[in-house]
Amino acid sequence: MWKVTRKGLAAHKLRFVLTALAVVLGVSFICGTLVLTATIQKTFDDLFADINRGTDAAVRSANVIKGDFGNDQRANVPASLVTEVLKTPTVEAAVGNIQPYAQAVDKNGKAIGGNGPPTFGLGWDPNPKLNQFHLVVGRPPQADDEIVVDKGTADKGHFTVGDEVTILTTKVPKKYKLVGIAKFGTVDSLAGASIVLFTPHEVQRIAGVNNEFSQISVVAKPGVSQTQVAEDIRKTLVADGQTQYQVITGKALTKENQDAVHKALGFISTALLVFAFVALIVGMFIIYNTFSIVVAQRMREMALLRAIGASKRQVLGSVIGEAVVVGVLASAIGVAAGIGLSIGLKAVMNAVGFQIPGSGVVLRPNAVIIGLLVGTIVTIISAVVPARQAARVPPIAAMRAVALERPINRFRRLAIGGVILALGLLTLFLGLFGSSGISFVGLGALLMLVGVFVVSPLFARQLARVIGVPLTKFRGIVGSLSRENAARNPRRTATTGAAVMIAVSLVGFITIFAASANASIGSAIDQQLKTDYIVTLKGGGGPGGGGLSPELAKKISGLPQVAASTPIRLGAAEIGGSKTFLAAADPEAIPQLYDFNGVAGSIANLAPNEIAISTRKASSKHLKLDDVVSARFVQTGLVPLQVGFIYRNNTLAGDYIISLASFERNFPPQDQLDTQIFVKLKPGVSPVQGRAAIEPLVAQYPNSALKDNAQYKADQKKQVNQVLVLVYVLLFLAVIIAFIGIVNTMTLSIYERTQEIGLLRAVGSSRRQVRSMVRWEAAIIALFGTLLGIAMALFFGWAVVRALHDQGFTKFSAAPFSLVFIVVITGLATLVWASLPARRASRLDVLKAIDQN
Amino acid sequence: MTTTIPPTTTLAARAVGASKIYGTGDTAVRALDAINVEFPRAQYTAIMGPSGSGKSTLLHCLAGLDTLTSGHVYLGDIDLSTLSDKEVTRIRRDRVGFVFQTFNLLPTLTAIENITLPLALAGHKPDQAWLDRIIDTVSLRDRLEHRPSELSGGQQQRVAVARALVTKPEIIFADEPTGNLDSRSSAEILGFLQRAVEEFGQTIVMVTHDPISASYSNRVVFLADGHIVDELLDPTADAVLGKMRNLGGE
Repeated sequence: MWKVTRKGLAAHKLRFVLTALAVVLGVSFICGTLVLTATIQKTFDDLFADINRGTDAAVRSANVIKGDFGNDQRANVPASLVTEVLKTPTVEAAVGNIQPYAQAVDKNGKAIGGNGPPTFGLGWDPNPKLNQFHLVVGRPPQADDEIVVDKGTADKGHFTVGDEVTILTTKVPKKYKLVGIAKFGTVDSLAGASIVLFTPHEVQRIAGVNNEFSQISVVAKPGVSQTQVAEDIRKTLVADGQTQYQVITGKALTKENQDAVHKALGFISTALLVFAFVALIVGMFIIYNTFSIVVAQRMREMALLRAIGASKRQVLGSVIGEAVVVGVLASAIGVAAGIGLSIGLKAVMNAVGFQIPGSGVVLRPNAVIIGLLVGTIVTIISAVVPARQAARVPPIAAMRAVALERPINRFRRLAIGGVILALGLLTLFLGLFGSSGISFVGLGALLMLVGVFVVSPLFARQLARVIGVPLTKFRGIVGSLSRENAARNPRRTATTGAAVMIAVSLVGFITIFAASANASIGSAIDQQLKTDYIVTLKGGGGPGGGGLSPELAKKISGLPQVAASTPIRLGAAEIGGSKTFLAAADPEAIPQLYDFNGVAGSIANLAPNEIAISTRKASSKHLKLDDVVSARFVQTGLVPLQVGFIYRNNTLAGDYIISLASFERNFPPQDQLDTQIFVKLKPGVSPVQGRAAIEPLVAQYPNSALKDNAQYKADQKKQVNQVLVLVYVLLFLAVIIAFIGIVNTMTLSIYERTQEIGLLRAVGSSRRQVRSMVRWEAAIIALFGTLLGIAMALFFGWAVVRALHDQGFTKFSAAPFSLVFIVVITGLATLVWASLPARRASRLDVLKAIDQN
Repeated sequence: MTTTIPPTTTLAARAVGASKIYGTGDTAVRALDAINVEFPRAQYTAIMGPSGSGKSTLLHCLAGLDTLTSGHVYLGDIDLSTLSDKEVTRIRRDRVGFVFQTFNLLPTLTAIENITLPLALAGHKPDQAWLDRIIDTVSLRDRLEHRPSELSGGQQQRVAVARALVTKPEIIFADEPTGNLDSRSSAEILGFLQRAVEEFGQTIVMVTHDPISASYSNRVVFLADGHIVDELLDPTADAVLGKMRNLGGE
C-alpha cells in the first residue's frame, strides 16, 4: 500500500504543493516566533547578567507594587542606608543609585527616543565593578553640568564630546556639557534605551530627592560568597532594627530581571502564537478540502483497490499515509523557513535600533519539535474525514458509475452544527459577561465559526446563487456558468468559503472593535472634555518613556489667558487589595475642564485623603459616598482613602482619581511626571491668542505637543489605528492561506471539469471567456466566505463591545465603509489571484479535453 | 423564416493535401496522408474506416479542433490553417456545429440553455421561430427546463443536435453521435440529422463505424491508413458492409 501512497502523491504534485503551502506558512510562523523569542530572551538574559555582573548583593525597600512586565515600583531608600550596609564586615563597597527620567534633545530640538525603550539618567558609578559603562571617548562627569551619554544616543543626536546638550528631566530643562561617550559592555546601547550619566549629586537633584536611592548595590570582599554577604547585611540591618529593607543576592537580582523579561516576552510570544494558530486553523480547512476533493476524484481508483482485495483499513492507511508525508515534509520546510524568517526579523530589529548582539539566532530543540509536531498533526487530523470517506467506497464503484459524492444529510448536519454553534455561543458569553476570561471568548468564537462551517453546506448553493445574480445580468452566459459552478458543489464551496470566513471574521472584528473604540473615545472627547487645548506627551509615553516636567503645567496655569488648567498624572497602586491604575488631577481646576457626570459628592473639594471612583467600581466593590477604602502606595504603604466623589464618565477618566496633592505625597519624587495638561482659556481669549501664549512654553519642552480638541481626538484615533494595523499585519498570513485555498479548489475543480471546458471551447467559447468563468466562480466562493465572515464579525464585534460597555466602550460602530471595503477588496483580490487557475483552464488542449472519454 | 442556408459556394468544406503526422523519425505515424476530399453543401456525408484509419483526425482537423502538419482545410472559402486560435474559436462558435459521442452537454445548464449556448457565448439573441422549429423537430418541448442528469441518453443527444443546429451553421460535424445509444434512440437521432439535411439544407459530416448509421447519409467516404480509399453514393447498409469487408475492417 505504501507504493500506492507514493504514486498517489507523485501523480498529484501540484495539489499537494498547494496543500503543503498552507502548512509551511503556518509552521514557519510558529517556528519563527519561537526562535525569535528565544533569541531575544537569550539577549536579555546575557544583558542582565552583564548589568549585575559586579553586584554581589542588592539592598532595596521591601514595599513593592508589582508591575505586569517586571516594571516593579519600590519606595526609595535613604542614603544613610549605605553607611549602615558598609558596617557589615564582609562588604567591600556599597553604592546607591537612582534612575530618574532624563531625555536628551538633539540639535534640531527634537527629543531622542521616548517611543519604546526607556530614557533615563544614572549617576556615574566610580566603582568599576558596578559600572558597566566603558568610555569610548572623553572622561566621566565631574561637575554637575557635565554628562556622558551612551554611544547609541550620541549617534542618534550626532553628538560629539564638547557639545552642549539639553536634557529634559522632572525639573526645568537644562544645558549640560558632553564630556564623554560610553558603550554599555560591548554594545552601543542597552537594548535601545537612551541613558544619560550624571554626577551622583546631579542625579539626586533631577530625581527631586534628597539623599535617596532606589537601590544599593554591594560588592563583597574577595572570597565571600553572594549568599554569605547578603546574609551578613541582613544581620547588620536587623541588629540596627532596620527591617523594612530587602537584601537579595546578585544572582537573585539577575534572575528577577530575567524572569520579568521572560514574562513580557511570554506575553508577546503567546500573542504571536495565537495568530500562528489562527493561520493553521485556516490551513486545516484547506488541507481538509484538498484531501476531500482528491479522494472524491480518485474514488474509482479506491474502489478498484478494494475490488482487487485491499481492505478498508489499507485504503484508509494509504490516504493517511499521504497526509503524513505531506505533513512531515511541509512542516520540515516550515521549520526551515521559520528559522530564516527569524534571522530576517532580527536583522530588521537591528536596523530599527533594537540591537541584538551576536550574529546567530537561538535555536532550541522545542522550536523544531513543536513546529514538526503541530504541522504534521494538523495535516493528519484534516485528512482523517476524507480518508474515512475513501475507505467507505464500495468495490462495485470500480465497475459502475455510482454517485461519487455522498448526499448531504441535512438533519444530521443541522443538528451537529447547531449544537456546536450553541456551545460556542454559550462559551463566548461566559467569557464576555462571566469571569471566565479571554480564552473562553476565543474558544467560543472558534466553536461558533466551526458551527457555521458545519451548517453552511446546507445553504451554500442558495447563497452562492444569490451572490451570482448580478453576474448573470452583467456577464451573460459566462456569469451564469460561474454562478452554477459555484453552486453545484455546496460542500466544496462551503469548505473553501469557511477558510475565507475565519480570516475575514477576524479582520472584520478587529476593524469593528477599533471603529467602536474610536467612536467611544471620540464621543467622550466631544461631550466630556471642556478644554480648549491639551498638552500631550510626544511618542505616547509608554513604560519608561518619561513624561512632562511638572514645571510646564505650573507655567501654563500662570498664564493670564488661561482660566483653568491641570496636569494629569498616572500611577499604579493597590486599591482594596487589587492592583490598579489611578489618575491624579487638580480638584479645583478639573470641574471646568472635564464633565464627570457625577452622581454623588463633589470633585472640586476632593481632599488629599479622599478618592473619586467610577459608578462601575462603586457598584462592583459595593462602595458609596464617605466609605473608606484601603489603598497601598509604594512610597507610603497602606493609606485609608475616603470616597469623596462618584462619577459615571470613565471612558477617558478611568475608574479612580486622586488629587495632585495626594499623588505627590504617595508616589516617589522621581515619578512626579505629567502625561497630559488640560487647558481652558478665559472667556474672550480666542483660540489663536491662546495658542500664541502657550506655544512658546511648550517649545521649551521638546517632548510635549500642543493640541486642540480635534487634534487630540485625531491623535487618539491614530493610536488605536496603529494597533489595528499591527493586528492586520499579523492576520495577513491567515488571509493569504485562505486565498491559497481558493486557488487550490479552483485548480482541482478545473481538473475535474476538463471535459466541460473542452466542450465549451469546442462550441465556441473563447479562452478569455473560460478565464472569466473561472475567475468569477472563484469570486463567488470568496464572497460567500466573506459575507459569512462579515456577519460573524458583526456579531462578535457587537458582543464584545457590549461586554465592555462599562469599561468605556459606550459606542458600537459597525464600520460600514471598512466592511464594504473588505468585501470589495476580497472580490477584486480573488479575481486577480484566480488568474492562475483561470489561465490553466484556458490553456487546456481542446481536443485532449474532449477526448477524455 | 429561412429554411435553407444560402450557399456562397457549392462546397461547405474541403481538405487539400491534408497531412497529419504524429511523432517524429522512426516512431512517426501518418494519421492523414495528403488527403483531398470535398464536402458539397446540403449533403450528408459519412466518413468510415477501421480503427486508426484517421477518420476522427480528419473530422477534428476539418472542424478546427486540431491542426494539420501540412496541407489546407477550407471551411467555405476560409483556409482554417492560416487562422489564429481566436479566429478559429469564433468560426467554431458561429459557423460550425458539433455533436460528440458522449459528454455533449454542460451539466450545470438546462436543456434550453445548452441548446442556445453558442448564441449566448456570442452574445446573440436566438431567432425564436427557428429555435421553436428545431425544438419541435427534436421533440424536446417538454424537457427544456431539465438538466442533463434528468435526461435519457437519447434525449441528451437530441439536445446536442438541437444545439448544433441553432446557429444555422454552414456545417455540422458529428463524431459517432449514436455510439452510446440503443438502436431506437440511434434511429431517432439519425433521422433528425437526415431531416436537417433534407428540410433545412444543412450540411453534415459524420464519423461512424456503423454501416446502419452510414446508410442514413447521401455519400460515404472510406478511409484506411490515412488515405481515401473508396466512396459510395446513396449507400445502403449492406453495400457499406460489403465495402468495409474489402477494407479488411469490420
